[in-house]
Amino acid sequence: MTQNQDPIIDSDGSVLLTFPKGLLGFPELRGFRLLEPHDGYPLKFLQSVERDEVSFICIDPASVKPDYSVPLGEEESEALHLESPDEALVLTLVVIPDDAKSMTTNLAGPLVINVRSKIGFQIVLSAEKYPLRFPIIPQD
Amino acid sequence: MLVITRKPEQSIIIGGEVEVIVLGITKDGVRLGIKAPRSVQVHRREVFEAIAAENRAAAEAKLPLQSVAAMLRAAQAKKQDDR
Repeated sequence: MTQNQDPIIDSDGSVLLTFPKGLLGFPELRGFRLLEPHDGYPLKFLQSVERDEVSFICIDPASVKPDYSVPLGEEESEALHLESPDEALVLTLVVIPDDAKSMTTNLAGPLVINVRSKIGFQIVLSAEKYPLRFPIIPQD
Repeated sequence: MLVITRKPEQSIIIGGEVEVIVLGITKDGVRLGIKAPRSVQVHRREVFEAIAAENRAAAEAKLPLQSVAAMLRAAQAKKQDDR
């Protein structure tokens, strides 16, 4: 039996995150559980606490685009209270269209989470520099 | 909708905390300055709409995470094999 050292990891293995501004288009959704089902690698799952029917599949963008990094402005870093870059977890939401092989992730709207405080924000980057729909399945 | 006409250098205050200043008017458009508390996010509308639309599309995913993950791992493994 493992000792659960982190008080915000619940018995189902999920981490409770708070997004003070919600997500763009979902400003009222502040609480999300982050789950990492072991047979779900490399994907993670965000489940809204306030609305059962709202959930997102997400991914560590570096696993599909190794050179991806999120430039954080001074105000964003302050809002996140990051004491070091190691405290930042970056996730991007995955869109699965009807043709699932064309699935994409939104690199222009990453979620940046402070793993220590469990607070996160969706950051808006320039859609000219960062793809809104980055294909994650290598196309032949 | 409240409609207000401002000349350059004039501003409006929203909610007692957000100030929008007309900095100038050029052939490329109106240059606006926005002073807002850190807690208020300010975005160009089309950028906001694009991200919000992608968020909504992401919330529509109908396949279970495990099958999507299996597809992704299979494609990544194939790519490795092809090298």
